Amino acid sequence: MTQPTNSRLSAFFSSNRAALLTLLALILLPFIVGMMDGESPMMVFANESGNSKFAQGLAIEIFILALYALSFDLIFGITGMLSFGHSMFFGVGAYLTGISIKTFGLSLPATLGLVFIAAIVQAILFGLVLPRVKGITFALVTLGLGSVFHIVVMSSELGPYTGADVGLQGVIVPAFISPANERLRFYFIALTILILVYLLYKRFVDSPTGRVCVAIRENEGRARMLGYNTFYFKLAALTLSSLTAALAGFMHTLYQPIVSPNIANMGFTVTALLIILIGGVGTLSGALVGAVVYRLLDFGLRRYIGESASFISGAVYVLFVLFIPFGIVGTWKMKSLQIKQGWQRLQKLFG
Amino acid sequence: MNTFLRKNTVLLITLAAILALFIAAAQGMEKKDFVITLLRGLSVGSLTFLVASGFSLIFGLLDVLNLAHGTLFMIGAYIGWTVFVRPDTFVDLLTPLALILSGFALGDVYPLLATRIRFGLSLKRILPWALVFTSILLFGWILPRYPIAIWNVGNYGQSPVTYSFMADSGTRLPVLPAAFTEISAPLALIGLLLASILGAFGLALFNNTAQPLKLNWKKFISFAILLLVALLTFIFNDSLTAALTGLSSNWLFVIAVLVATLSGAGLGALIESTLIRPLYIRPIYQLMLTLGMSAIGIEIVRAIWGRPEFVMPKPAFFNGSGGVCPATNFADWWANNCSTILLLDGRVRVYNEIFIPIVGVIVLISIWMLLQRTRLGMVIRAGVQDREMVEALGINVRRVFTMVFALGVGLAALGGILAAPSMGLSNAMGESLFLNALIALAIGGLTNYPGAALGSVLVGLIQQFIIKYGQIGIAIPFTDIIFKPTPPLVPASTVLLMVIILLILPNGLLGKKE
Repeated sequence: MTQPTNSRLSAFFSSNRAALLTLLALILLPFIVGMMDGESPMMVFANESGNSKFAQGLAIEIFILALYALSFDLIFGITGMLSFGHSMFFGVGAYLTGISIKTFGLSLPATLGLVFIAAIVQAILFGLVLPRVKGITFALVTLGLGSVFHIVVMSSELGPYTGADVGLQGVIVPAFISPANERLRFYFIALTILILVYLLYKRFVDSPTGRVCVAIRENEGRARMLGYNTFYFKLAALTLSSLTAALAGFMHTLYQPIVSPNIANMGFTVTALLIILIGGVGTLSGALVGAVVYRLLDFGLRRYIGESASFISGAVYVLFVLFIPFGIVGTWKMKSLQIKQGWQRLQKLFG
Repeated sequence: MNTFLRKNTVLLITLAAILALFIAAAQGMEKKDFVITLLRGLSVGSLTFLVASGFSLIFGLLDVLNLAHGTLFMIGAYIGWTVFVRPDTFVDLLTPLALILSGFALGDVYPLLATRIRFGLSLKRILPWALVFTSILLFGWILPRYPIAIWNVGNYGQSPVTYSFMADSGTRLPVLPAAFTEISAPLALIGLLLASILGAFGLALFNNTAQPLKLNWKKFISFAILLLVALLTFIFNDSLTAALTGLSSNWLFVIAVLVATLSGAGLGALIESTLIRPLYIRPIYQLMLTLGMSAIGIEIVRAIWGRPEFVMPKPAFFNGSGGVCPATNFADWWANNCSTILLLDGRVRVYNEIFIPIVGVIVLISIWMLLQRTRLGMVIRAGVQDREMVEALGINVRRVFTMVFALGVGLAALGGILAAPSMGLSNAMGESLFLNALIALAIGGLTNYPGAALGSVLVGLIQQFIIKYGQIGIAIPFTDIIFKPTPPLVPASTVLLMVIILLILPNGLLGKKE
């Protein structure tokens, strides 16, 4: 009896080696960074190691971005709907969290519930538009809805709630996950959420529903001809995507001291587009890789070059479109056989 | 008649509803306010139309959503400003630009040359890279040392803001002519020419597709013309600058408009033939490419012209004051060139509210004529209907694509330079107008030319009426509340109108059903 389970286990380990190694590295990351500064793991546990804390902060930002990019990949890369209002999904989560904690003093679980309800409602709002408009018109309508949300957030009438163009600040985060004092806990919670959502997405794409979503991307007319009511599948993808993006927004508000109105901007949708373009459109893991590359690149450029960083990220964008259109993960998947062969040839060359 | 009514019921009802809204809006304000708001709406509508029509032509024929259109609008404005306020910079730039382009004008010659010279296989691989690399090195060495009299963004006294302010008050700051100090003049000129030829040769070697090897004499002529332009502008640099500076601001404005439009068209042709063309097989990537280009364009503008906003002075023809100004009738205005004119006791700015709509109407009619009466227009219209069929008929669609892209971007640049004296120049001017244009197109129908005009006018009018009502307030019936829409509501209102119209008529007001 033990033999088959064992072999199954080892097969699982060998086929997911890269993913498991990455996971291990991410779990150890805070301690390794602390160790490099000569600080013991206990200090890292007590959130006293400066550099480790900084690395954790950067990683948390990457996790949040990755969640957001994942949700965009689901509707753009998998289902093939180009929405320019995606930042609204994120923004609703972020602002609703901030307002309900700060103004109405709700508890964290109640806030999360409220955020999820709002996410479903806005997915249905986008869904109302769905059967009527397709393709570019859908992009325009979602752009319109998104910019109305941005305008509402920025308007001075709602200033007491949203902070208008200054941004929402002064949200008191419950002490047990406060990013200032309990950052390590926040780090692991964010990591867990990201992994769970990623696994859920993988399962969704492999499920019958997910396969129909892919079919809609490839050819909607044919999918409908086969007897699928494509509207419901698109709505399902939109709802899942909206829930995830709102969750990312929820974590963003908890983590960041100020929620800037830029996150409701069209530019933030473009960020998601850029991330999944770097990683590879339609490959879920591409969103994760892209988020890492994007955030580190952005961080490095702003630090060493300063103001003109967005010029370089624009250039990176154009170069990716022209020369690496399938992104890092997509290109890797296509070329991995060649790379493996080359590696073997290299090994043969040296004995 | 009956079938027409039945087919277009929704459209007619929507139009009637909009008309009723306007009549209701007119009731709430005085006559002079109404006239001014109407003219302002038309003005914003005209500018929107210039951007929207180009965008819709490009989208209709090429299926490219050019999201960089707003940025190109802005670049047109900045180029026009340069010609208008700093003609010396413009003249200085002509020589190196003509030299850089001259090498690339010889496009057909390089493949022929490559077949005549025999290389070894390894050399054939290295040579293109080596050529391009040498060319980049040469450019990198010469261009920073090439003397160009230009403003200095870092120094307020020499920034575009100051020059603009001084030009507005009628005095031009004395500018020191740039001189060759770090590099000798012949070396710089020959080096630029060499770098350009090497670079073009290297790039031509990259694509190995054997083209029909026939020498096209037109290429040599354009090469010769470019060289001649470079030499002439180099020799007569000072006298040309003096002539441009001495010109009256009206003629300078005309030149600025021409230069901005033409360079916009050139930029469009360049973008289409180098960046967009490889991506026709992957439409969604074109969209992302234009997004990236728009970010790059804004950064380039920030680097060259700086971040602060500034105003471009109006040409003297629209800038008179004192005496009988504001003019009460047309003859007075003509005699004094007043900047404002009284219409029904309301002050109307001539440039913003009369000149721009007139130009808009002229462009509307001339593009309409181009589309309806010329062969190119016929090809464009046919291409919008069915691109593959046109290709099958043996028409060189690629060339038409480049021309249409150039036309579209040229129109946007024209809009930019026209908007500069009324809106002022800022890094964000492209974005807001581009959003307007998108909304206008969505309302009017994405690929429909009259629809673009109708949508633009509607967007402009609605925005201006809401701004006006923000000042005077709307008395809500049966209550004493006076509702004053705040400025953020202006974009929100048009966006809402777009969403509503798209939900009723998914293809826009005049768009055809697929």
